[in-house]
Amino acid sequence: MKNRASLSRSPRKSIAVISAALVGALALSAMPAQGASTPGVSDTEIVLGMQLPQTGLASPGYNKVDDAMRAYFDYVNSKGGVNGRKITLVAYDDEYKAGKTVTTASRLINKDKVFAMVGSVGTQTHISVIKDINRRGIPDLFVLSGYSGFYTDPKKYPTTFGSLGTYVTEAKILGKYIKENMATKNVGILYQTDDFGRNTVEGLGIAGLTFTAKKNAASFVAGTQGSGLDAQMQQLKDNNVEVVIVGAVASAFASAVASSNKIGYKPQYVVISVGSDATTFQTILGARGIPAASSAGLLAGTISASHAPSPGEADDEFVKAFKKINDEFNKGPATGKAWDNNVLQGMNIGYMMTAALMGAGKNLTRPGIINYIKNNPSKLSSAALAPLGYSATTHEAYTGFWIGKYDATAVLKPIDGTRKMWTTDSAKGPVTELKYTRPAIAADALPKVG
Amino acid sequence: MRAVSNHNKKSIARTSLIRTLLFVAAILLVGAQFDAYNQGQLAVVLILFIGVLSVTLLTGISGQLSLGQGALMAVGGYSTALLMINYKLSLWVAVPLSVISSAIAGLLLGIAAARLRGPYLAGTTLVIALAIPTIANRFMSVFKGDEGLPVDVGYPPQWFSNLFGEPGYEQWQLYVALPFAAIALFFASNILKSRTGRMWRSIRDNETATSLSGVNFSRQKIYVFVISSSFAGLSGALYGLRGLVGPSVYPVSLSLLLLTAAVLGGIRSITGAFIGTVIVVFLPDWIDLVLVNFELSEQVSNYLPALISSLLLILTVVINPAGVAGTRLHKHK
Repeated sequence: MKNRASLSRSPRKSIAVISAALVGALALSAMPAQGASTPGVSDTEIVLGMQLPQTGLASPGYNKVDDAMRAYFDYVNSKGGVNGRKITLVAYDDEYKAGKTVTTASRLINKDKVFAMVGSVGTQTHISVIKDINRRGIPDLFVLSGYSGFYTDPKKYPTTFGSLGTYVTEAKILGKYIKENMATKNVGILYQTDDFGRNTVEGLGIAGLTFTAKKNAASFVAGTQGSGLDAQMQQLKDNNVEVVIVGAVASAFASAVASSNKIGYKPQYVVISVGSDATTFQTILGARGIPAASSAGLLAGTISASHAPSPGEADDEFVKAFKKINDEFNKGPATGKAWDNNVLQGMNIGYMMTAALMGAGKNLTRPGIINYIKNNPSKLSSAALAPLGYSATTHEAYTGFWIGKYDATAVLKPIDGTRKMWTTDSAKGPVTELKYTRPAIAADALPKVG
Repeated sequence: MRAVSNHNKKSIARTSLIRTLLFVAAILLVGAQFDAYNQGQLAVVLILFIGVLSVTLLTGISGQLSLGQGALMAVGGYSTALLMINYKLSLWVAVPLSVISSAIAGLLLGIAAARLRGPYLAGTTLVIALAIPTIANRFMSVFKGDEGLPVDVGYPPQWFSNLFGEPGYEQWQLYVALPFAAIALFFASNILKSRTGRMWRSIRDNETATSLSGVNFSRQKIYVFVISSSFAGLSGALYGLRGLVGPSVYPVSLSLLLLTAAVLGGIRSITGAFIGTVIVVFLPDWIDLVLVNFELSEQVSNYLPALISSLLLILTVVINPAGVAGTRLHKHK
């Protein structure tokens, strides 16, 4: 018994000692918050952060955006930077896995000490970090997602601004076109079952187009398109759908066309712009053994929309200038450099970001740049053919789109020959024609904020 | 006889408690030296450590191979998120409740698994992990599909800030994860040293001999699944609290990551589980430290962590199957 008592005392004592040490350690480890100077900004440098899928299923196409953006910043740096500060872009791969996005965001914020996030790609991944980024007051600029939930309540996410029109806006505009021009046809839809697909269905619904599941509406879980969409396209074919609206990413649209092609199904496609990028489409079909000439043929006739000039419009002054900068400054791999809509969007975000940094002035602070963007959307012109829609009530980017059709060379050309811009909101407002003259690009291809 | 056995139980509990307290002290001290990013990473280590412990108990100790621990993590994550969002519960209530729901999921799985062996069990669990996105989208109104349910650890309560100062966001993540990891460690350590642990080991080593010695083999298998699922659910709940509960948070690769960590560290030991978790969480950072000196393209550097952890996995299996912590284990044998 004695033996037992002594045995039991010593661990009890050590538990007490360890517990006391624990309290001490906890007190020691709780350190005060950091000081007040603006992170990511020095006299010579501005550090910006970005996260995107560079690898994995969702990466095709999007993995070119960071290289394009960096190429534009390198160009700006070669001209002396902004207010004497060079722009550095740190981009991390989140593989489109939200668990990883939280880590890459923490790394950008705490290790790289970025001044702002810019052009982050992806809806689901961005949902996982948007609250934290906003809570810390970090500018979350020109997010590459058309998810309206990020932008339509600026009180909830005051630092987040978009760089795309919302899916609802675009779907409403395309829906109106279909209603007016294809009224006699049997219209169906293929969409991915996430916010992107759902927002598309919602916008089309406002335009008066409704669908029935298992009949003229086929869906798939985002990310599963790699294994083919045979069943979905067969379903639409069996239901005699003549016009297929596609609310899905480019790899899914390519998959759908490949599946339809196999069963000799050739409907008229109407594709939300995110899904209709020509090079991504051709690259993916190329990997399935369909040569570029044939895939261009499969894309020809597809109707889509855009807020910017088509990358194939060689005469457009922005396209011309950006293409030249891309050739000279893009350090990405050969496939990443290849000029397409992703590169154009990346360049365009670089251009807008530079304008915002110029506008926010020499004394650069986080609240300063947010206020500047919020109050001066008209000064942040870019290649887009519609103005930015930022206001006190919304942080949606472009509220205008033009409708086009792909020609035999995989270039999106305005439908009926002349380009008409249409505008609407993400709610129930009407679709009306937009009159907007895009400010010209300067000879040195740098933004002028005046 | 009874007194002796009680005494044994007590001393097992005491050893586990001391072990746990030392662990907590070590984490707090190390955490204090870290910057915010690494504190966040350390929080991930603690969270995944609980998940890896579930693999250690299930696969390492009891010999049941599961490729779907990520799915059980998702059960914990979704339960927590739904309780916090729909019933406005504090995470300190929601997380323990979600452990119960994961235990129930484990019970159901265990009842099925008691009849399955080896590759059939692995296949079944893998399918469950693969089904998560479909389930999340099928019951859209509850699980919110791919968009998921945003939840986080929020802010520390006032008394905490008053007592210890205002912690950073990552630091608070660490403090939230730590008590749960400590509880998990305490339980795992207790189970391994107890009669239950010995029974489970015997199931792994020889099912026939185990039944002959009077162990209700099917029932123990179900217990293993329930306990292991509780661990996985707890880990998943905390993992979701980093910002989002959604299908892209619990991909199939997460289940494989847990298994990788368990094998690298040593699948039969708790120390091994911890070492393995540290390796898989910090490996990308260590690789970056080395890569900083080389101008490698993203095309190469993005794939390096996966490549190196796969290589380590192969080397471990071929050269040192008992993992990093295995050497010590061999001595005991």
